[in-house]
Amino acid sequence: MRTTVSTSRTVGATGAGGAAPVEADPEIRDAPGTDDAMRPDRPWLVIVWNDPINLMSYVTYVFQKLFGYSREKATKLMLDVHHRGRAVVTSGPRERAELDVARLHRHGLWATMEQSG
Amino acid sequence: MSPRPRRRIRPSARGGFEVRLPPEERALLSHLPRQLDELLATATDPAASGAEDAAEVARPRDRTRAASADAGGPEVPGIQDPLRRLFPPAYLRDEAAEAAYVGLVRSELVTHHRESLALLLRTADATRLTSEELEAWLAALNDLRLVIGSSLGVTETMPDLDERDPRYAEWVCYSYLSYLENEVVDALAGVLPPAAPGADDEAPEDPWGEPPGGLRWDGTPLPGEP
Repeated sequence: MRTTVSTSRTVGATGAGGAAPVEADPEIRDAPGTDDAMRPDRPWLVIVWNDPINLMSYVTYVFQKLFGYSREKATKLMLDVHHRGRAVVTSGPRERAELDVARLHRHGLWATMEQSG
Repeated sequence: MSPRPRRRIRPSARGGFEVRLPPEERALLSHLPRQLDELLATATDPAASGAEDAAEVARPRDRTRAASADAGGPEVPGIQDPLRRLFPPAYLRDEAAEAAYVGLVRSELVTHHRESLALLLRTADATRLTSEELEAWLAALNDLRLVIGSSLGVTETMPDLDERDPRYAEWVCYSYLSYLENEVVDALAGVLPPAAPGADDEAPEDPWGEPPGGLRWDGTPLPGEP
């Protein structure tokens, strides 16, 4: 059985937080206009990424608890994460986005942030 | 496990929650948090780990390569790798912003993880818990699942348990923690306050529309991508 779980996905899961995303996606790295000081007015997006460990019920609960969403809205966001790989769960000024990311990290979710546009 | 097991955790008429766990499960909950806390203490203590600073825990690359190389070989005590799952990055394209973020939140995050584990340890024999205590149980159970699941290389598809698997005990442990965490989530979700007025309306529209191609932040393919 060990063999059955030792797929490339296994490596990805074991290396959670491991592979360097900046190197992994040159398209993102080379995206123009990443100097956010030049565009302070655009909101920051808080993104939650799919992972194979967090329970669907748990992720839904965390969205409800942290952001005050209804169960329906939280479930929809959770399913977006699960089926599409990621979802934007909140947006706003940088400071608020960073706070939301930190709260999601306290709950063990894979959350990142980036400026829209 | 019977097809319809009695709920282990449920809201109490007197406030808080009732906890009904058999002794062997309580024994597990008295054991696992201590193990993880020791790992956290070692991995986040520069003197103990030989790391330059606490941020070393989140420095992914070299150790990930080592873990990948070892994935098919004998198990190594590479605890830093599964622990790293507890400390995800916030910024993917801005190393300076990420370093600042780590500096801002890292020690508080370590403290949060360790306090949750300590509370689970202290209350593993409790028959009643407050909401705050059950929240700490949830945090600790989830941290344990994240670390054990990362170490096991859990994927979306849960394999059948096989007693011949050298890591059978860990798989059983992981399955049990998943089961218990679900019970805790059900209990806590049942007492959540109503949705905040207007919160749903303020939720952002997803600017990507259709699923983007390429990789997700940890370098693995998005679902449906080759």
